[in-house]
Amino acid sequence: MKLNLLGTTVILLVAFLPRYECRAIESPGSALRIPAPQNQNSQQLSGPILERLGEEYFIRLGNGDSNSIPATSSMYPGGPSSIFNRALQLQLTRRLLQGKVGNIRELIGDLADHGDESMERGRRSEEPPISLDLTFHLLREMMEMSKAEQLAQQAQNNRRMMELFGK
Amino acid sequence: MKVPPRAQLLLFLVSLSSRMGLSRYIEVKTLSRDVSHLSVCFLYILGCLDMLSTEGSFTFVASRPQLACATFVIAEPSEVIGLELSDVNIDCRAGDFIKMFDGWVLKGEKFPSSQDHPLASHQRYTDYCSSSAAGSSSRSSQNVAMVFFRIHGEDSGFTLTVKKLHNPFPCNIMSQSPEGSFTMVMPHQRRNCSFSIIYPVEIRLTELSLGQAKSNELIPQRKVWSACSGSGDYVELLGGNGVDTSHMFPVADLCFSLSGLAQMKIGCDNSVVRLVSSGNYINRVSFQYRLLDRDTLPKAPENSLDNFCSVE
Repeated sequence: MKLNLLGTTVILLVAFLPRYECRAIESPGSALRIPAPQNQNSQQLSGPILERLGEEYFIRLGNGDSNSIPATSSMYPGGPSSIFNRALQLQLTRRLLQGKVGNIRELIGDLADHGDESMERGRRSEEPPISLDLTFHLLREMMEMSKAEQLAQQAQNNRRMMELFGK
Repeated sequence: MKVPPRAQLLLFLVSLSSRMGLSRYIEVKTLSRDVSHLSVCFLYILGCLDMLSTEGSFTFVASRPQLACATFVIAEPSEVIGLELSDVNIDCRAGDFIKMFDGWVLKGEKFPSSQDHPLASHQRYTDYCSSSAAGSSSRSSQNVAMVFFRIHGEDSGFTLTVKKLHNPFPCNIMSQSPEGSFTMVMPHQRRNCSFSIIYPVEIRLTELSLGQAKSNELIPQRKVWSACSGSGDYVELLGGNGVDTSHMFPVADLCFSLSGLAQMKIGCDNSVVRLVSSGNYINRVSFQYRLLDRDTLPKAPENSLDNFCSVE
């Protein structure tokens, strides 16, 4: 009875809690995508986590403990190995994009140099704005990568939530 | 009355999701106030050319002069994007700039097009250097936004915070995937709305309701038009190889309500369902789309002089 009353109270409190404003955490040096470790004393992260470091994508696997397989495996029928393979594919695509970006930068370098000029022209007429000469193929690849990133983050959030409910 | 644990859990989940009007995701951020040892605030590194589809803070630091960079931001169809700049360390006088754009720009073409966007072209840009206070935040009118930036100095940079906000009546949507379904509703608004899919797809219109009058007045007899452009409210399917819908080719249009199925294969880089509304009625169109495989792409007629992607 008391437990049910406590649970109902928690539900009502959470429903009316103000939103938590997520602010950037200042950290020295480079900023990494850092899902908070469950154990503050340990630097190990459980389960495969899709991370981005600079221009690189890589997978950081956990401590190899099979009991720490996250819920992300349910998102990918093949399990963590399919996530790893997909991340490798995305990494290869990422490198290809970097190679193409180098060419793109040369192409749009002049355009960027005249960006302010084109902005002024844009105000007076419908001149082409600042733009990228990006192909649809590259745009699709980027969308696919961002979608995979979104799914990975959502899977991580779901895993944390399930762990929270399990306590 | 004893409440079973399952009902408590369901009530908890419903209460969380109802705060945002979303039924798909539950924000863990709300929980973090209760569970202090969990941090759900992520810091990401932003690349010179990047695409973002998640909320969070993204930091760009130039390791070398970066003269032409852009970040595409995309959200779910029923969301708009809030962008905020912070920790900006650039030299505007040296030619650095950070400009947020309400939409996407690709190869000189804008999405949404100038015809479909409520703001003038110059109003869609938010320049940080023109006003650091007003130019540090922006909110998009649709589910896509973009940031252009140029930074000369090493170790200069900025932090971009992306937030997604619910949009109850989305208009002008860029699909993030080549397959899915969507229902576009335009209630008494004089607006043209486009749903853009940057893939060759087969589109199936499953429901089309046009011209529901405001009151119970008699609906006047309509003339049969050879094209829908004169009928006021209609749906058109467009195909093309750019993102600007005003530069795309109309492949079909529907003027009257549809109760059955209508489908079309559009073998173009960009396939668009566009709803044109006069504001006099409540219009609604539902459709499904799926990616066309290479072998199912409509074959273009040989020796064709038409500069147009294949349609079937």
